[in-house]
Amino acid sequence: MAKLKLALYWAAGCGGCDVAVLDVNEKILDIANLADIVLWPIALDFKYKDVKAMEDKSIDLCLLNGAIRNSEQEEIAKMLRAKSKVLVAFGSCACFGGIPALANFSNRSEIFQRVYVEAPSSDNANGRFPQTSTKVEEGELELPEFYDTVSALHQVVSVEYFVPGCPPPVDLILKFVDLLATGQLPPPGTVLGSDKTLCDECQRKKGEKKISRIYRPHEIIPVPEQCLLEQGLICMGPATRGGCGQKCINANMPCRGCFGPPAGVPDQGVKMLSALASIYNAKDEGEIAKMVEEVVDPAGTFYRFGMSTSMLKRKRL
Amino acid sequence: MKKVTIDPITRLEGHGKIEIFLDDKGNVANAYLQIPELRGFEKFCEGRPVEEVPRIVPRICGV
Repeated sequence: MAKLKLALYWAAGCGGCDVAVLDVNEKILDIANLADIVLWPIALDFKYKDVKAMEDKSIDLCLLNGAIRNSEQEEIAKMLRAKSKVLVAFGSCACFGGIPALANFSNRSEIFQRVYVEAPSSDNANGRFPQTSTKVEEGELELPEFYDTVSALHQVVSVEYFVPGCPPPVDLILKFVDLLATGQLPPPGTVLGSDKTLCDECQRKKGEKKISRIYRPHEIIPVPEQCLLEQGLICMGPATRGGCGQKCINANMPCRGCFGPPAGVPDQGVKMLSALASIYNAKDEGEIAKMVEEVVDPAGTFYRFGMSTSMLKRKRL
Repeated sequence: MKKVTIDPITRLEGHGKIEIFLDDKGNVANAYLQIPELRGFEKFCEGRPVEEVPRIVPRICGV
């Protein structure tokens, strides 16, 4: 059998997903036996023009991580879509917008102002911002257009599979490679991970969920074996897909939802609000108001990794 | 003026491209390093609870 052609690309990401692929350790040799890599900026020196010269659908699998934040990322996503038989939204940024989509509470001009003018490390008295085209003595320089709104990959191009996680856990990556190698890929549209919620999989002891106040992490030392939500810590477990390996929970840190909403749940934040409301032990409206105040940053917490695919999508422009 | 474009720069964390302008003799007249990337952590960390920041900023670079 001819070797598969594999492309890996990063859009608005941090490289953590690329490193997660390397975290399969010696199994990377199995991947190398299975596939030849044709693009992987973090590790190999292929240029965009090399991919552009390839025939459509000549790449068997493309793992694309990072959100779509500027016009270059959108163009390359479209190019890789055309060249690839199977395109995978790899990691939480590509699946849901991820951490970069927290910028959807803001817009381009606010971000430029903060980064290029107000930041203490910026020396920019003339308030110059990056331009899509700049004339220099020798010719012209071009930069991509910075968008107001960060999008997930499937909001820009069609996507076959979703591998969530910040970053995707190694066992999930290997499971996907195994399904590919044995020709057992699930129906397009499948989100890899569990069909259950993180709560369903969590091994912590659960009792009656009734809380009368919300604690911030520095206000309480949680009991290691007990449900964090029952102890008043906001844990996104009820509103998050399982299958992550529970690294945060096992480190006594509440979930922040990087696996996105569970199957059948359209909006992670609304699901979390609903879960919180159902366990609030408030007797009257005053107590409810007090508890709502205790959630310091509701939107930035409930949509920590999912602004792009939320019903909100962004703050009104 | 002839232009040589290296895009993307590879084997590092982040995005970059290099534009090299050559004069009539084929010598380098000037070269520009451009970073076609910004996410805006400086902005979107504002308003987040301070204890959450250690869970956000590791995503500046995950390499």
